[in-house]
This record gives sequence, C-alpha cells and structure tokens, in this order.
Amino acid sequence: MIYEIDIAGRARRVVVEPIDGARLRVSLDDHPPCEFDAQALAGDRLTLVNLDSGRSHEVGFAPGPDAGDIVAYIRGMAIAGNVGTRRGRGGVGSTQGVQRITAPMPGKVVRVLVAPGDEVKARQPLVVVEAMKMENELSSPRDGRVADVAVAPGVSVEAGRLLVVVE
Amino acid sequence: MTTILIANRGEIAIRIMRACRDMGIRTVAVYSDADRKAPHVRYADEAYHIGPSPAAESYLRIDTLIAVARRAGADAIHPGYGFLAENEDFSRACRDAGIAFIGPTPEAIEKMGSKTAARASAIAAGVPVVPGTEDALPDTTPDDELVTIARTIGYPLLVKAVAGGGGKGMRVVNVEGELLNAVRVARSEAGAAFGDSAVFFERRIVHPRHIEIQLLGDHHGTVIPFVERECSVQRRHQKVIEESPSPVLTPDLRTRIAHDAAAVARTVGYTNAGTIEFLLDASGRYYFLEMNTRLQVEHPVTEMVTGLDLVEWQIRIARGEPLTIDPAEALRPRGHAIELRVYAEDPDNRFLPSPGRIHTLRPPSGPGIRRDSGVEEGFDVPIFYDSMISKLVAWGSTREQATARLRRALSEYDVRGIKTTIPFFVWMLEHDDFRRANFHTTYLDELLSARNGQPFAPPGQADEDLAAMAVAVRAFLMARGAAGTSAQASETLPASASSAWRRAARRAALRS
Repeated sequence: MIYEIDIAGRARRVVVEPIDGARLRVSLDDHPPCEFDAQALAGDRLTLVNLDSGRSHEVGFAPGPDAGDIVAYIRGMAIAGNVGTRRGRGGVGSTQGVQRITAPMPGKVVRVLVAPGDEVKARQPLVVVEAMKMENELSSPRDGRVADVAVAPGVSVEAGRLLVVVE
Repeated sequence: MTTILIANRGEIAIRIMRACRDMGIRTVAVYSDADRKAPHVRYADEAYHIGPSPAAESYLRIDTLIAVARRAGADAIHPGYGFLAENEDFSRACRDAGIAFIGPTPEAIEKMGSKTAARASAIAAGVPVVPGTEDALPDTTPDDELVTIARTIGYPLLVKAVAGGGGKGMRVVNVEGELLNAVRVARSEAGAAFGDSAVFFERRIVHPRHIEIQLLGDHHGTVIPFVERECSVQRRHQKVIEESPSPVLTPDLRTRIAHDAAAVARTVGYTNAGTIEFLLDASGRYYFLEMNTRLQVEHPVTEMVTGLDLVEWQIRIARGEPLTIDPAEALRPRGHAIELRVYAEDPDNRFLPSPGRIHTLRPPSGPGIRRDSGVEEGFDVPIFYDSMISKLVAWGSTREQATARLRRALSEYDVRGIKTTIPFFVWMLEHDDFRRANFHTTYLDELLSARNGQPFAPPGQADEDLAAMAVAVRAFLMARGAAGTSAQASETLPASASSAWRRAARRAALRS
C-alpha cells in the first residue's frame, strides 16, 4: 500500500507491503526497502525491529490539532505529521503575507501595545495576554503594518481568538 | 499530630502527603472545581471541595480552609509553596483556630515577607545587602520622585514588588527612560498576583549567581543551615534548573554564607523550614537577597545530597521536637543533585503555556532518578494555576553523573498531547556552558534571545525517516485491523484516536 505522508513539513512517499506475520517490507521515497518486524503496543505505540540492521525502535503517537494530523514521538522528540489528507500546507510556519495573531491559550488581555496603522518590526510585542499567572507578550511575526486590532484590554479570550492582524 | 490538611494542589500536595503517609499521619486534601479529578485528591485519605477554579475563590480562601480543617478534625495544616504559604494572616488564622501551621509564625512571615523589613533584618545581623531603597514606594509616589530615588541607587536597577516572588512583579531597568513604564508593569502584575502593588528599587548586580541556603529552625532556639543550592539557570527570573552543591562554592565560602543565613534567621526567631537567597558576584562577594518563609520548590536537591526528608522535619518541628541533625553533616554534601522544572509550555514558541489533556504519560525511572509530579495520563492541565507538571531530579556521585542520568531520564520521559519544556532541557544539558557550570542569573535569557527562536531538539534526517515509516506502518496495521485480518492492531489503539485514522488509512489504501 502507498501512503503519502507529510513529515515535518516535507512530503514523503512510503510503500508498505506485508511479508508474513508481523513482517513488513517498507520503502521510503527512493531509499532501498527495509524489512521490519512491526507490532502495535498499548498506549498507541509501535515497536519496530529492523530485520536487516537489528536496530530497535519505539515510536509513540498522539493526534494532532486537525483531522489527519498526527505527532510521532521518538525518544522524547515530537515530529508533526499528516497522512492521507493532502492539503495545501504552504501557509504553515510562513511569516509572509497577512499575519493573523491569535491567542495561543485562553487568558485575559492585559495590554494592547499597538493601534491600527502602526508600523511594526518583526518580534515587536503587540498584545500582552495573562494566562497561568504570567504575562505573555505576543509579538509580530514580520515587519509590517497593523491592519486591525480585534481586542481591548480587560477582555477574556479563548485559545484561537483573533487579536491583531499585521500585513 | 494525627491528621494534616494540605492547603495546596499538584506535585507539592502529593509530596507532602507522602511524608505524612511515611509517618502514619492521616491526610486531608482540598480541591477546586478544576481539580476534581486531580491525583492529589485521590492520594489523600479524605478530600473536600473548596470552591470554583480560580485560586482566589478556592486555594486562597482562608475561612474555607479553616472550616474544612475543623470539619475533618485536622490538627495541623501544611500550606506547601505558593498560594497561602507565605501569608501571615493564614498562619495567624491557624493559630487562632488552635490548628498547628506547618511553617513559621505569622510574625516571622510578616517580617521576612516584606522585602524591606527583611533587608533591615539582614543589616541588623551584619549580613551584606544589595544597595537599594530602604522603604516601599507606594502607588502615590510621584513620577519625578521615583526618578530621583532611582538616580541615587544607579542603573541598571530592578523594580521589585514588595510582596513579590517567583519573578512576578519584577522588572529590569537599564536606562532612566524605561523606569516609569517598568514601575507600572511591576505594579499591575503585583496587584493582580498578590493584592499589593507597592514596589521598591534595588541595584542590579551584573551577572550574579543565585546561591541559597536552606535552613530549619526548631522551637528550642536551634537553627541549622544546610549545604547551598545554586539556582542560576533562570528564565525571566524563574528558576529552571537547581542543583546542590553549587559547582563554584569553596567549603570556606559555604561555611561563611551558611553562618550568615542562620544569623538572619535568628534575628526573627525563625522556626520551621525557610531559605535565604543570596547573589554571588564574580569576585566572590555575596549579598542577602531575600528570605522565602516556606518549603521551596527545589527542596528535593537538598534532600538528595543530605539524605533527609525536609517535610518530615517540618512536621516534627511543628510537633515541638528538637532538631537532632548534626550541623557539620548538614553542610557536607553527599554527591550531587540536579532538578529540572518541567512545565506545560511550548519551548519552541517562546515558552507560551500549553495547557490541555495529557494524552500519554510514561515517566522515567532507574538509578538516581526522582520525579515529583501532580499530573497523570488523561489529566487536563488547568489554565488556572502554575503550569509546572513535574520536577525531575537526578542524584549522582558527581555532577557529571547526575547530568548524564538526567539526559537518560529525559529520553525515557514520554509525555504526549501537551507541549513540555523537555526538548529545551535536552538542549540545555548538552550546552558547554552548562557542563562547565559557566552561568549566571541572566545567562539563559541572553542565550535564548541570541537563538532567535530556533527549535531546541530538531529531529535529524534519520528521525524524520523513521517517523514517516512509522506513521505509514501504523496506518497499515490499522487498516488491516479494520479489515478484520488482525484484530490485534485496532484493539491496542485508542478508539478516539483511531477512527479518523481508519478513514485516512482506508482512503490511502484505496489509492494503492
């Protein structure tokens, strides 16, 4: 079976073929195929033993933010992925174009440091949101101009609520 | 003392209950709405609801806590750290209710809780202090007067909340132009966090190390200081890594600082556990900073190098027992211990809080590892409280061994569903300056700002390759399970996570 997978922002093609029992032949992109003994474990984990090199791996998983998103955990490292749902993902991580700064967590707006029309530099603080007893400065991801300020001091915001638009 | 109410939550509530259980003492937990399913509620013998999720309506309600203690028949209350731990009204309310407060007297808290009064105590004890204002600056102080006072102290200086702690209500001012704004911010934070917006100014010692002395005082006039802790690795004035002993203190300097710490404690007749914090400058001069009149977050590193249980001693002192610890032994560290504070924060996104459900949690273990935690798999990390989810502590016969054990433990620590500061620690422990203990209190902030937000533990090519193959194999095994050829794969994967995956797997399979 062929899987189109996005890992850490890069499209990968993986072919998985059963051999027998738990043995699978796995080909990644243009690499030569590997044989694995692959078994699922409790707690959404896989144990993978490479039958050629003997290398033993454990990979854990947790769902990501959107349908089809998945996070793979290898020795404490989190690697974001997506499978089966091919979407335009060019915007992710981009700091070009119109930037919508949203609340990363629920909290209360303590201060608004800019007004519509202000010129701002990358990493310049825009809004201060208090959450978990700390004041968190949210900064502009790019040089630009403030196109909109959607909140006022004292307002409680949910995660994802639009705060400021920079263009 | 047969029953202790723990007026706290999270890891410290459980840590205190563990000492109680070791001593055969019954434990009483309290919980807010957000903590109904928190582990500390189940660890206790009894648990009582004390109000809505915001701390001001639950964990900070003195009247409710005293009423619950009476109802549960508790003869003592342990406040933990944070919340009411350094609130003299709470200590006094316990005393008035005939309940032992496991901590210092209200008089000692009042004196040491006010940074200006604490400074005066240090000066009275002949202990050096950092130059600064002797009195608190109330809200009504005119701006031009603030500027004048600041000039007499000199820049750079710190604006600090009188009632502050943990970096809240504190701002650095490098030049005069930043002063008034810094005062406003410090006041607003301090007013919100402590209900007291008075501030004071203090000269900023450039590149100091943070050295602190844990001590215990009994009700018979004995004060015993312990081997120091060093907590110089801080982010925005919040301790991130703590260790004992300090890698730079000589035995002679240790003896002098410990002696001075005990002298400050004696001026207020200090009882129970407390910590005196000092700044140590590059030339080996040290200055009294403040006293924390409570058990500290980082107390485990002292326990690891002394073999003592500080909470057990807090309880024994509250019962009126005399200290029987050999003062010379208390200053002699056995090996080395390091603690990492693991937070529900996203280190790759400027350490913003990352509350939410812990999908998976498998803790590390093995030689030399201690983990104090108040969360578990399936728990929703609430937005209302401090976001620390655990303290990971390693002991080793040397600093190198303790560091190696921490690195190993971090690689075992499997936390999924929320972002944590684990990748940051993986990076930090590899850093040359950390290995050589070449740091100071603003070292980490400087290091982080120079990094410009690069990810801490970016996956290598081999990791990405493995992740891609594993994601595909998982989808393959699920599709096979869904098709009925192997029930095993689907049964071992959680239903909630797997349904979307099955759909995706089927779609992918259709293309093949």
